[in-house]
Amino acid sequence: MIRLILHLLTHPALFIVLTLAVYALSLRLHARWAWIHPLLSASIVLIFLLWALHIPYASYNTGGGLFTYLLGPATVALGVPMYKQGIKLKATLPRLSLVVLAGSAVGMITAGGVASLCGASHEMVMSTLPKSVTTPIAVEVSRSLHGDPAVTAAMVLLTGLLGGVIGPAILRLARILHDHAVGAAIGASSHAIGTASLFRSSEVQGSVSSLAMAMAGIFTSVLAMLLNLYWRAQGAGHP
Amino acid sequence: MLGFVIIVAFQLLGVGLHRLGVPLPGSVLGLILFTLALMLGLVRLEWVERSAVFLVRHMTLLFIPLMAGLTTMTAELRRNGVALLASLVASLLAVLLTTGGLAHLLLADDEIAEINREADLLP
Repeated sequence: MIRLILHLLTHPALFIVLTLAVYALSLRLHARWAWIHPLLSASIVLIFLLWALHIPYASYNTGGGLFTYLLGPATVALGVPMYKQGIKLKATLPRLSLVVLAGSAVGMITAGGVASLCGASHEMVMSTLPKSVTTPIAVEVSRSLHGDPAVTAAMVLLTGLLGGVIGPAILRLARILHDHAVGAAIGASSHAIGTASLFRSSEVQGSVSSLAMAMAGIFTSVLAMLLNLYWRAQGAGHP
Repeated sequence: MLGFVIIVAFQLLGVGLHRLGVPLPGSVLGLILFTLALMLGLVRLEWVERSAVFLVRHMTLLFIPLMAGLTTMTAELRRNGVALLASLVASLLAVLLTTGGLAHLLLADDEIAEINREADLLP
């Protein structure tokens, strides 16, 4: 009997269903109390359940990892809202890319600068640089800069979560209310997690955010490449 | 289901190009090619719209397992906790306000401009 229960408790299908159930619960909570961000409540409930049931993360991930694989297709699927908004955005596209380029540069400089001022090691500073862009890009940029990809992935997730939770409120406080401006700011700062939050309230904001997120990913990769070339030109390699 | 097949095909195309040496991640290459294919009419919106909307609407779900995975690396994060947290918060605020502020200045008058242009056309 115990063996049967143990078998079921470690079956991947259980972890798929568990993840879906936690997600469904978090959407209910969000519908009832709009300020509870679904990703935050879902993560807290799931972490608690895994801890309470003594399920190791590696075991959970045999089923939960399925959803991580779907992040690739979901990123590609962002093409549909981008295309649908494309006609309206055609005139603003050059200005939007300028805005996102500025945001990406400021993001890398402040992330690295503050980490460095707080006494972080060179590897940690490099790990923070790509934290505003979506996970697959950030991890590769971090590797190219000799950062720690795992630390970068954590920074990316926490940045997206914090941006999704408080980003819209901060923009409202700063009286930045235009759909295009909100979309650009959330997409450039909080990548796919922020974008997903915006889609729940506004199709236009979500689409601009998808576009800004893709642009930020490209600009951050290019800026990191330039940084590497600059260090190589200095002849010192990585300081 | 056709939509899912097309979307995954573009992702694989992107991953393949990345392996061949294009310095952008596979899924981002897939996104760029997929958007181009839609714009050029190679892929029709009605083939992919339902699958894509489904994936995008539930993107939050896809991040839940990764968030739970953060518990496995608390030691590394705690060692550099203050620096990483300060960097995260400062940089998030900086990006939000620079991007939002600049976009507000450069993009916000677009709709008004459009209305004016239409008004110009009136006799």
